[in-house]
Amino acid sequence: MNTGTELWLFTVSVAAGALGGMLGMASGIFIVPILTLWGHVDIRSAIGASIVSVIACSCSSAAPFLKGRLTNVRLAILLETATTAGALSGVLLVGTIPVSYLFFIFGVILLISAQQMLAKRRDPALAPILSLTGRSTTWRLDSTYPDRTLGRDIAYRVQRLPIGMVLMYVAGLISALLGIGSGVLKVPAMDTALRLPIKVSSATSNFMISVTAAASAGAYFVRGDIVAPVAGPVALGSVVGAILGARLLMSISNERVRLLFVVVLVALAAQMLVAAFGKDWFRGIA
Amino acid sequence: MKPIRIESLLARALNVGTWLTSIVIAAGLMLSLFHQRTPFPTAVHILTAGIGIFILLPILRVILMLIFFAKERDYKFTAAAAVVLLTIFAGLAIGILAK
Repeated sequence: MNTGTELWLFTVSVAAGALGGMLGMASGIFIVPILTLWGHVDIRSAIGASIVSVIACSCSSAAPFLKGRLTNVRLAILLETATTAGALSGVLLVGTIPVSYLFFIFGVILLISAQQMLAKRRDPALAPILSLTGRSTTWRLDSTYPDRTLGRDIAYRVQRLPIGMVLMYVAGLISALLGIGSGVLKVPAMDTALRLPIKVSSATSNFMISVTAAASAGAYFVRGDIVAPVAGPVALGSVVGAILGARLLMSISNERVRLLFVVVLVALAAQMLVAAFGKDWFRGIA
Repeated sequence: MKPIRIESLLARALNVGTWLTSIVIAAGLMLSLFHQRTPFPTAVHILTAGIGIFILLPILRVILMLIFFAKERDYKFTAAAAVVLLTIFAGLAIGILAK
């Protein structure tokens, strides 16, 4: 690994981290496509590097959410039993899945992300907290969070936990297979299944991502699948980029960033899908 | 005395951890930049150590939560944290076996 490559990896990761950070997304979703499509890194090393950067981004951005009482840590540890189980399944599966399938799944996940970026998230109608019975209260998961715009604490309930757990298992599986944080799957699970307020689901999802990723990253690391000269610059670059991105967010119009984001996601999805099918298609034609 | 809130404890741990790890990785990168002519395995070792610490950081976070819930005598959540830890360790075991 020469110096030029390390600098290139670092710079690209800063850009990916900044782009992700501007929309509160980890850079993982960009790292694997960039490394495999443009950097000619093989997909397993790319996944290994990406999963470390996912941990780095999640850990580095967790503190403000925790201090702002947006993260529901009790709910997080409960859901993490499902996400880490999913990650473990992913670790067991990853060797058996052909590379072209990985590219295909990745392309689909990128398209789902793009679709989610376009669809505006709305706060689910908060259920009136009248009858505090049922599963959620026996686990004491319901909580409150301080809403700055309203200037008071908002109480919320955690609903439909079993569906949430199933979706979290899938999110963990995809996270391990593709080396992404899969916040893109966790956040809708929390929005639509658990019916959490947006700020709470974003913060809690971000908090859970590092532990989910550690379950697969640990296995890849001891197995020797994580190439330090690739993963090191990518992890550091992502953290730097995420910090820059969060700063930039203040000064750039949110809609413009969203549009840029969607364009990048769709472009990468197209390339990943071509990489998945391309060779076989061309062979079929010839 | 006001009890320490779990949130601020975790926030501090993650913050300090991220900084320390970033410094270790930056040091490894610097070394490899300035010593490119000679074979310099130390730089790779430092980078590998940095990555290892990054992976340990969330594991440490789960251990902190486990201790906290156990102290609170909140046994359901102590159990949940223990399950998460065991799952991560199972992943490590699989990784070692598959090597």
